[in-house]
Amino acid sequence: MGKVLKDVVCSFCGCLCDNLEIAVENGKINPVSRACKVSISRFVNYNKDRVPYPMIREKGGLVKTSLDEAINKAAEILSRANWPLIYGLSSSVCEAHRKCVELAELVGGVIDQTATVCHAPTILAFQEIGEIHATLGEIKNRSDLVIFWGCNPLDAHLNHFVRYSVTPKGLYISKGRKDRTVVAVDVRETRTTRVADIFLRIEPGKDYELLSVLRALINGKEIDLDKVAGVSMEEIRELAEKMVNCRYGVIFFGLGLTMSRGKHYNVMAALSLVRDLNKKTRFVIIPMRGHYNVKGAGVVLGWQTGYPFAVDFSRGYPRYGPGEFSAVNLLANGEVDAALILAADPAANFPVSASKHLARIPTVVIDPKISMTSLIADVVIPSAVSGIEAEGTAYRMDGVPIRLRKIIDPEPGVLADSEVLQLIIDRVKGVR
Amino acid sequence: METLDVVLITGRTDKQGVTLEIGKTSMDYYESVAVVELNEEDAEKLGLNENQPVKVETENGAVIVRCKYSKSVKPGLAFMPYGPWTSLLMTHNTEGISMPSYKGVKAKITPQEEKMKVLTIEEILDQFIRG
Repeated sequence: MGKVLKDVVCSFCGCLCDNLEIAVENGKINPVSRACKVSISRFVNYNKDRVPYPMIREKGGLVKTSLDEAINKAAEILSRANWPLIYGLSSSVCEAHRKCVELAELVGGVIDQTATVCHAPTILAFQEIGEIHATLGEIKNRSDLVIFWGCNPLDAHLNHFVRYSVTPKGLYISKGRKDRTVVAVDVRETRTTRVADIFLRIEPGKDYELLSVLRALINGKEIDLDKVAGVSMEEIRELAEKMVNCRYGVIFFGLGLTMSRGKHYNVMAALSLVRDLNKKTRFVIIPMRGHYNVKGAGVVLGWQTGYPFAVDFSRGYPRYGPGEFSAVNLLANGEVDAALILAADPAANFPVSASKHLARIPTVVIDPKISMTSLIADVVIPSAVSGIEAEGTAYRMDGVPIRLRKIIDPEPGVLADSEVLQLIIDRVKGVR
Repeated sequence: METLDVVLITGRTDKQGVTLEIGKTSMDYYESVAVVELNEEDAEKLGLNENQPVKVETENGAVIVRCKYSKSVKPGLAFMPYGPWTSLLMTHNTEGISMPSYKGVKAKITPQEEKMKVLTIEEILDQFIRG
C-alpha cells in the first residue's frame, strides 16, 4: 500500500465528511476507512468517464482542440451573447464561484446555481421567517430528539447518521443512539424510516397541514379531527408532546418539503413550528443540502451580490428574481441566448422543455466528467476534480467552511475550475 | 392495455449516487436510474413482471423504464430516481419561485411488451433534446 492520507475531505454531498483515510499509489486512490459507499465510488472512479481534452463543436460533432482555442471560443460565445446564463456552481469550490460572479457581471448575464431546483424554496422561506440554526457538532453533542422530515439520509447522505445525528456519542448524549429519539416523516418507507423509533407516513402533498396542526397543538390549541394528512391525531399528539418535552430537538428536512405542493409554504410552516417550539424548549432546523458545496454557492453569491441565487447583471448591478431569473424559467421561456455551465448537469435534471433551449443556444461546459450537458455543448473544457486533484473551500450543509485538499495531481494541462474561469475572464476582457 | 393512476415521487437512491460516480453514460447508471418502483399489489394488478418495461406518463410527457417491485411505496404511489428519465415527465412551470414540482405528480402506468426499449442517455438527447 502506498501513502495513506488522513483527514481527507469527501467532496460528494453536503456532509463534507473530513475524517477519511485514503491510500494513494501509482495514480490510483483507494479509500481505506470511514468513506461511505458513494464516497468510495467517487474516489475509486475519479478518473473514469473524464472529459479527455478540450473540445469544440464543428459540423455537428465535438472535436479535439487546444485549451487556448477552447478558451477563445468560450470567451467569444459569452461576449457576443445579449443575455448569457451562468449556471451550476454547487459541485465546485468557492474560489470558482467568485470567478463566476465576476464573469456574470462582466458579460451582463444571469448567474444561478443548482439550489434553484432543490432548496430554493428553503432560501425563500428563510428570508420570510428566519432560521434557527446550529452546527452539526452542536447537534451531535446535545440533540435528544432528531426528526427527519421529507429526507432520506441513509440513501442520500450516507454518513450523516453515524457522524452527526443518530449514533455518535456526544457531550450530553453519553449513550449515543439510546439517548436519542429518532422520528421520520415521509410519504414512503425508506431505509431511514425503517430505523426510526417513530415513522409517520403522510399522504403526498400534505406536509403543510401536518406541520400546521403540530404548531397549533404546541401552542395549546384544540384540534377537533381524527386524522390529518393520513396520520391519526393520537400519533400527532404523541409527536407534539415529544417535541415540547425534549431538551434539544432538531428537524432535518429535505426535498420532500421543497419539491412537493406548497414548496416554500411547507418550509415556512416548518420554520414557524421550530420558532414556536423555542418558547418551550431548544429546537433547531437544518436543510439537508445535496451537492457538497451548494451551501457555499449561496454563501458566495450572497456576499458578492447580496442575493443567493437567480441574480441578473444585465443592468450592470445585481437584481434578484426567483422565478424570473431562475435557470429553468429563462431556458424554458427561451430568454437567454448563451450559457456557461460549471460542474452541473442541467440537461439531465431540468424539465426537457428547458434542456431543449440549452441545446439550441451556444453552451460552454466546464466539468471534469462527461455529463449529458457536455454532449450537447459547443465548447467543453475539462477541469480538475475539486477535493481530489485541486484544493479549495466548500461549505458544509450547516454553514461550516471546510478546506478541501488536493491529494493527487491532475493530468498535465488540466486546470482547476477557477483557473479555467480566470482564463475566460481575461480573454473576455481582451476581446472587448 | 390496462392503465393504473398513481402519484409519482422522485428522489435520490444510494445506487444512483454510486453509479453516478462511475459515469452518467455507464450501464450501471442506466440500470439503476431508468426504473420505476411500484407496490407489488399494483404491479400484480397490471400483471407486471419484475424488470418488465412500463410506460410512465404525466401531462408533460411519457417515458419507458423498467418496473421494480417495492415494499416501500403503498399502492397508488410510484417512485423513480431523479435523472434524465424523470426529466421527460416534469413541467417547467415553477409557479414563480424557480422550483418545478418533482414530487407528488399525477402519472399513469401502462405495461409494455418486453421488446419495448428503455432509451439510453444518447437516445434521449437525440429524440427529445437535440434539434
